[in-house]
Amino acid sequence: MKILSLKDVSVSFGEKTVLSNVSFEIKAGEIAAVIGPNGSGKSTLFKAILGLLPFSGSIKINGRGIADELHEIGYVPQYFDFDRTMPITVGELLSFTRRRTAHKESKEICREVRIDQLEDKLIGTLSGGQLQRVLIAQALLKKPKLLLLDEPAAGIDIEGAKAFYELIGHLNREHNLTVMIISHEINTVYEFADQVICLNRNMVCFGPPHTTLDAQTIEKLYGTKMTAHLH
Amino acid sequence: MLEMLAYPFMQKALITGLFLGVVLSLIGVFVILRRMAFFSDGIAHASLSGAALGYLLNTNPLAVSILFSAIFAVVIAQLEKRAKLSSDAIIGLIFTSGMAIGILLLSLGGGYRPELTTFLFGDILAIKWSEVGLMVGLGIMNIIFILLNYKRLALMILNEDLAYVNGIKIDLLRNLLYVSIAVTVVMGMKVLGIILVSALLIIPIISAKLISRSFRSLMVTSVAIGVLSVLCGIFVSVRFDLPTGATIVLTGMGIFAILVVYSKSKQRLIAARRHA
Repeated sequence: MKILSLKDVSVSFGEKTVLSNVSFEIKAGEIAAVIGPNGSGKSTLFKAILGLLPFSGSIKINGRGIADELHEIGYVPQYFDFDRTMPITVGELLSFTRRRTAHKESKEICREVRIDQLEDKLIGTLSGGQLQRVLIAQALLKKPKLLLLDEPAAGIDIEGAKAFYELIGHLNREHNLTVMIISHEINTVYEFADQVICLNRNMVCFGPPHTTLDAQTIEKLYGTKMTAHLH
Repeated sequence: MLEMLAYPFMQKALITGLFLGVVLSLIGVFVILRRMAFFSDGIAHASLSGAALGYLLNTNPLAVSILFSAIFAVVIAQLEKRAKLSSDAIIGLIFTSGMAIGILLLSLGGGYRPELTTFLFGDILAIKWSEVGLMVGLGIMNIIFILLNYKRLALMILNEDLAYVNGIKIDLLRNLLYVSIAVTVVMGMKVLGIILVSALLIIPIISAKLISRSFRSLMVTSVAIGVLSVLCGIFVSVRFDLPTGATIVLTGMGIFAILVVYSKSKQRLIAARRHA
């Protein structure tokens, strides 16, 4: 069953086109990775899917318009810049967001993403990895069907990033959660994603990474000779 | 000291001071969280145009100032969204234009206007019952707005995209917050004046940050410090015949200094216990 479908989606800022004729479909329960160089329109694509930017073309979530299905989307932004001296606890940040879960279920989600011991900690004192898990928890409290993660592993060390991708895999399997993730790590995409969307303002490729991400495509995308080394 | 309470000017000052202490401190939490202290300064100066028009038309200058400040707030919010200018530049534009209009209108009125010094430096002891009514009414509306929306406001300030995905109507809430801040600033001008009004939006909150361990405790502690600063400032200024606005600000600074010393001593004590 299709959960997300885009047809000929383009986004322009004045004269400048930042996303051109992007079309793809994601099935429920899949993990789709969005890759591309800086400025290729990855975050713009997410903002269009969320309805934060005007676009031409069509975006359907569960076959309906964005406004009707916004409650089914969980989102973890790329930047979460705030005054770190403000005393806001993890529990309070989670209480600021809309919940569709009962108290017991919320506790279970916090345990699953391993932030159950952080409830009284101030968000300004969290490490990058801890803050990222808190942001995932806030998205999951909505009980979304589609989770959008904008470069979630940026700024996290290798071990932290590995644990993070394992957590996403677990959530995908256990909750049948469809995940779209912006990533720069091609090796991780190979191991982890069911579909890959290659963007460089227009769509360079779309399909399963093992058949889609060949040296030629990567060169077209990044303009250099690169290969993926599977671990 | 209790006999002071028998005077009507003192009763009016204390009622107004109590409400202003609560409202300015509550709103101040969001002003500091959003890092928009310059906005409150800009609105305070721009609203001089409203006061000047009020005097020129022989109507209530406070009411006209409040109306003007609300309009300026919405204009700033819309320009921030639509114009390709930084927030500081937009506020600077409104700040100076509003003041320029105010100066122009005052020159049309001619003659010396002693009431205007109230707007520049504040005078809570000269407040009228009609103004007390207006401030208490607007104060209650602002308190209800903040208490009903503080979670949405905090999330919007932390990350607008996240707030939008959580079903918050960002444009509406941003406009309401800006209007709420603007109205509160003009109310505060009656006590502290254009020049000092920002102090009560900032000092109670930065003081409360030193001892608060959650957002909720920050809100409660800020209000407590704000109210304490205003009420102590009023009593001290009357007792020693000092300018009220300046005394309130310096009382707040005194509380801040005490809390800095307390917080540093506590940190040293904790560090010493760890090493022991």
